[in-house]
Amino acid sequence: MDCPSPILCVIPPYMLHEIARNGSSSQRDTALRTLILSEQVRGQRRAFRELKGFLSMAAAGGKQRAVYDAQNGSQLPGVKVRGEGDPPSSDAAANEAYDGSGFTYDLYFNAYGRDSIDNNGLPLNSTVHYQKGYDNAFWDGQQMVYGDGDEDLPANERLFNRFTACLDVIGHELTHGVTQHEANLAYFTQSGALNESFSDVFGSLVKQRQHGQTAAQADWIIGEGLFTPNVNGAGIRSMKAPGTAYDDPVLGKDPQPAHMKDYVNTLEDNGGVHINSGIPNRAFYVAAMEIGGFAWEKTGRIWYKALTDKLRSTSDFQNAADLTFEAAGELFGVNGLEQLAVKKGWAEVGIAVGGSGGGGCLNAVLNFFGLQLRAG
Amino acid sequence: MRIHFERTGGFMGRKVTFDLDTADLPEQELESLRQILAEANFFDLPDNLVTRPVPDEFQYNITVTTETIIHTVRTSDAASPPSLSALVQYLNQESRKRREG
Repeated sequence: MDCPSPILCVIPPYMLHEIARNGSSSQRDTALRTLILSEQVRGQRRAFRELKGFLSMAAAGGKQRAVYDAQNGSQLPGVKVRGEGDPPSSDAAANEAYDGSGFTYDLYFNAYGRDSIDNNGLPLNSTVHYQKGYDNAFWDGQQMVYGDGDEDLPANERLFNRFTACLDVIGHELTHGVTQHEANLAYFTQSGALNESFSDVFGSLVKQRQHGQTAAQADWIIGEGLFTPNVNGAGIRSMKAPGTAYDDPVLGKDPQPAHMKDYVNTLEDNGGVHINSGIPNRAFYVAAMEIGGFAWEKTGRIWYKALTDKLRSTSDFQNAADLTFEAAGELFGVNGLEQLAVKKGWAEVGIAVGGSGGGGCLNAVLNFFGLQLRAG
Repeated sequence: MRIHFERTGGFMGRKVTFDLDTADLPEQELESLRQILAEANFFDLPDNLVTRPVPDEFQYNITVTTETIIHTVRTSDAASPPSLSALVQYLNQESRKRREG
């Protein structure tokens, strides 16, 4: 192959990625051309995607955020209040949406080489002040949408703060966009609960990375700070101990299961996507604790590889267990500490890795009836 | 007239239900509700407006019962046209007033 620079030709790809990311303009161009040539020879699907990210980064100049104000209405996106590079607004919610989407972009780009939701520099658009008294946030397929919680009520009646106040909520919503562009997990029953779980995983990792926390230091609470002091609860969900995040006279008790034996069969909420996500959430937590250190580095990379390279729209929990196990082996070695940690994570929630083989159709039928095949 | 409201989904995935009997409403609020229902063309709406799942959005089942008709509409934040969104927002606000434990 023709090499743009003889020196760069002998530099390993990971170093070229660093040069492409951090080098001067001319260094970056040369590194990119070298990477393109070498990846064309290797034909690696994943590396090409990362390169595409670097190229669009070079072209678009990185993250492109915009925050809009729905002014308590329902029309999206609303009135633009802050664009990329603009100084902070006088509106705290707009600044939280801006900063939070930036921190989320940074996790995906710096840890996994991903350029935004579509890995092609898609602008990150957020709308704040959606409706009035809207206790929620969602991803509408194109943008993030945040309500103000109970900010319109007297302080002693409020249960929810504004949803932009939690960085992991922002990371959660943006990750729905990433999932949509990758495995596109169908938002129903187990694939839907996986969709939710990946959003909790990377939402939590955005927060952990921003706070510089190891797996052991993190609280593993989703939506910590979303409840006002009027609520008896640490947050919306606990990845460490699903089912224990809140227990409140008004809101009831956290309904999440932590194990397959407690899997909830329901048609509500698209088949319990926000309930049964507790099971894969805890699998991730256990794996991250086994591996130790910063969870976004190894455990997050394993889950990211499964999401972007392996899972499909109809994947179930068993597939996720098998494919994260496979991804760990490919990234860090077969039977290495990381792969065994992933195996242990799924075992703790009642799923033995290796159960997908040949049982796809049967598993689908069993899942429909809330049953599972037992390994061994 | 009676209204049964069910909200499922959302970031928290918590179900909220409540029943409203318009006999309990002040005349002015009842008139406002009648106008919201009329502007939404509620009784002419199809049973289901949700064509695609939207992650974390609320989904709603709204049943309105009068002396002559019972009609249920399934909708969501993204699926509701502005005219129906006004009804959804009214019912959401009413449900918040009734959420004491």
